[in-house]
Amino acid sequence: MTKAANPQNKKVKNDSKSWQFLCSVKLAVIIIIILAVACILGTVILQMRSPEDYVNRYGEGLATFFSAIQLTDIFHSYWFSFLLVLLCVNLGCCTVKRWRNTVLQIGFLVTHISIIMILIGCVIDMMLGEKGGVNVYEGKSVDYYLNRADYRKIPLDFKVYCDDFIIERHPPKYKLLTFVKNKELEKFIPAKVGNKIKIPGSNYAVTVKDHYPDAELRAEPINTSKEPNNPAIYVQMMESNHVTAEGWLLAKNRNWYNDPKRDLKIEYLWADNDAAYEKLAKAAGKIAKPTLDIIIEGKNISRSMPVEVGKSISIDGTDYVVEIKQLALDYAKRDLPVNEQSSDNPAVRVEVNGPQGKETRWTFSKYPDYWDKAHQAKYKDVKLTCYVPDNFSQTSSSLRIVQNKEGKQTLSYLSNGKLVSTTDWEVDKNYDIDKTGLQMRILKYFPSHSIKKEVVERSGNHEGHNHGPGEHAGTPALFVEIEGPRGTVADWMLANNPPRWYPDKNFALLYEQSGMVVKDYKSILRVVEGGKTVMTKIIEVNDPLKYKGYVFYQSSYDPEGERYTGLQVTRNPGLIVVYSGFILLCIGVVFIFYVKPFLRRKLRKGQKVEDYYSEDEIAAEHIE
Amino acid sequence: MDFTLNITFYVYIAAIVAYVVREVWRAKTLRWIAFGVFTGAFILNTTLVVQRWFEANHAPMSDKYESFVFFAFTIAGVYLIMELVTIFIARVHESRLGIVGALQSLLAVWMIHSAMNTDSTIKELPPALQSNWLVVHVINYFVSYSALSISFTAAIVYLIYRAIYRGRAQEIVMSGSESQLRKDVTFDKLAYISVTIGFPFLTVGLITGSIWAKGAWGTYWGWDPKETWSLISWLVYLSYLHLPMILPKTKIKKTFAPILLSIVLLIAFPIVLFTFMGMHKLPTASDSDHIYAE
Repeated sequence: MTKAANPQNKKVKNDSKSWQFLCSVKLAVIIIIILAVACILGTVILQMRSPEDYVNRYGEGLATFFSAIQLTDIFHSYWFSFLLVLLCVNLGCCTVKRWRNTVLQIGFLVTHISIIMILIGCVIDMMLGEKGGVNVYEGKSVDYYLNRADYRKIPLDFKVYCDDFIIERHPPKYKLLTFVKNKELEKFIPAKVGNKIKIPGSNYAVTVKDHYPDAELRAEPINTSKEPNNPAIYVQMMESNHVTAEGWLLAKNRNWYNDPKRDLKIEYLWADNDAAYEKLAKAAGKIAKPTLDIIIEGKNISRSMPVEVGKSISIDGTDYVVEIKQLALDYAKRDLPVNEQSSDNPAVRVEVNGPQGKETRWTFSKYPDYWDKAHQAKYKDVKLTCYVPDNFSQTSSSLRIVQNKEGKQTLSYLSNGKLVSTTDWEVDKNYDIDKTGLQMRILKYFPSHSIKKEVVERSGNHEGHNHGPGEHAGTPALFVEIEGPRGTVADWMLANNPPRWYPDKNFALLYEQSGMVVKDYKSILRVVEGGKTVMTKIIEVNDPLKYKGYVFYQSSYDPEGERYTGLQVTRNPGLIVVYSGFILLCIGVVFIFYVKPFLRRKLRKGQKVEDYYSEDEIAAEHIE
Repeated sequence: MDFTLNITFYVYIAAIVAYVVREVWRAKTLRWIAFGVFTGAFILNTTLVVQRWFEANHAPMSDKYESFVFFAFTIAGVYLIMELVTIFIARVHESRLGIVGALQSLLAVWMIHSAMNTDSTIKELPPALQSNWLVVHVINYFVSYSALSISFTAAIVYLIYRAIYRGRAQEIVMSGSESQLRKDVTFDKLAYISVTIGFPFLTVGLITGSIWAKGAWGTYWGWDPKETWSLISWLVYLSYLHLPMILPKTKIKKTFAPILLSIVLLIAFPIVLFTFMGMHKLPTASDSDHIYAE
């Protein structure tokens, strides 16, 4: 172990001390350790932030210190670069000095050269390489990209078209969440048919018993009692025996239907006693009229006026004149004649005339605040609200279906506010409506109308949905049984519906989608040079397009409308050097640790280690 | 899945006990019992990995849960291969490995335990991870980590023995005899061998990661925290490999050199573990593109 058989040992004495140090392993280890410490600092201290950021985070003094010794951008600092250069020089000198031309040293040579190559390759890329990005709209092209550092436009001598940008998604996944209220306990359980799952820390247990991959909630009208708790009829309107409209009318809910085309309104009215019945069936009655209320703030003035187009009033005590310009029953269809609009979103257009000229406003019956919030009013003290009754219509004739508890049921036809005819009606019979040529029929009568909601499996085709073939993702449903202190309950649960509570209101199940996970981002790119398409490729993450040294990576996209694709553009002329270095480094390291130990024993069988190894090598390989 | 995971956990614990018993009594009959129990746990762990591979439809090393299970799998696998090589190829008594088996098993227990406390729902691979490099890169890293973990445990054992035989350390080290005591204090050699096994994998892992990053993000090196820390662990082991050449030229005593090297290993492996699972603790983590293992 004492004498190394290195003939160069004698020469070493002639070398200057600085050369010796430059070649030494000591320097290498020192550089390695400093690099490691620098790397740690580079991840502990935030890098490349604004100066204010550092002051806020580390205080004035430390921030100044950091920027003074370039700790705010370690990996691009001068001293870090200097260390890497020094490492290169050290490696080079060390390799030259220690090379003894033996097979056993191949690994040593290759690894050291490879690291120099990798570093040189990186320098080439930093000096001559290009890096940037560009967004390409679908169907458009670019012949430039923006440099990453300064957003300079850098021209390309070809065009890159984005023919399409696609986001592929995985089919959605669903999860089943359990919740114990008094313990604030949330737990996911598998959303698939399986054994009973006890919810730990509670006395509830859940069993998923059945599963529909695609289900829907079907609402079916049913009759729950003979008592007229919620009377409803199913009415069909006909014209020359063709059904023009049909549906349920609920006496205590939506009890009217407007047919603007035929200038007819159908009402279903329930009378509690005979007097009311007589009135409803025979009296023409008045339909409430729309009104407009005007309040002048700060003056304690309030006025009310019927909504009649063209009518105007001047408000006493002010200079305002309010004129009604238009009534719309459905604001969205305000350009149609009023009698063709159904009462969806009624609104009144009002003109306020005052000292500063005219101001036009729409006032919405259902959204009284809307206009004031969305617009700057000229006359802020004028507050307008309007009231349009739900069943208001401007139809001249109406058909009243009236019923009472005692079994009286009649059909009254009114025209222009006058009763024309009254007839008794029965279920399933056709009735002519006076001389209009229209018929009507009542198909069903439910004294206690209710809706039964039921989860049913959906099957077959779903044409017309907004998705491509094979992409259809249905709404799954689970049949779940819950055991708890109040016994067992079981029901179907449709995904993405409100949570299902156990009768004691302390335990709930939620079955919902856990998000659509992106499978891949793809762009169809086409390279056009001199008017000719020279290349087409579908790029995706991990599969870029390469052309003329430029590489185009899928890196981002338009988050709002997916209208453009974000490409990263790079040109790495040093890449071949870096990759060669990578390969050599792998080969070298494997040689040193996996090949050399066996090779050494084979080649130097019977020889003493000291005869062919230097002191350093003996120490490095822990040979005793 | 949960059931197998639990069983695996307990069999690994049994392996710890078996290795401790083997090391304390050093009876010949115990030789294969400990090995057998550890192998049993390894086989269970293998089924976990394979089952996951089929269920998830991608290489089971993409999220935290999968990495924990896979790391336990490679820890056990690499150690068992090492024990077989020690006995049959190097033809050295297994007491050379001593308590290291128990410590490796402990490490596997830790990993399985972490897996038990991690969300095990199968997640779809994000686009950046959909690459064949994932498999190459991750397998290399975990094999390397496993070998390096042996160097870590061996370093611990070495330091403990040195503490126990403090007075006689000098003579034992210098004696060069084949005594049992001499064998007990060769754990520094075992640590070195483990590093030489793990380091090439570490290098290949680093390089494949870089090539993969180039394909996915367009840069082969971007000073991302995960990249930087994998470089740090590589540099630390690199300095461990170069240190023995300069130590004889310093004033450090010859008998102290292995202690110093063992201390380097004690620092190095936690750095590796930090690289593996500590990235979210860094202030710069928000800049990272590495969603992997998080």
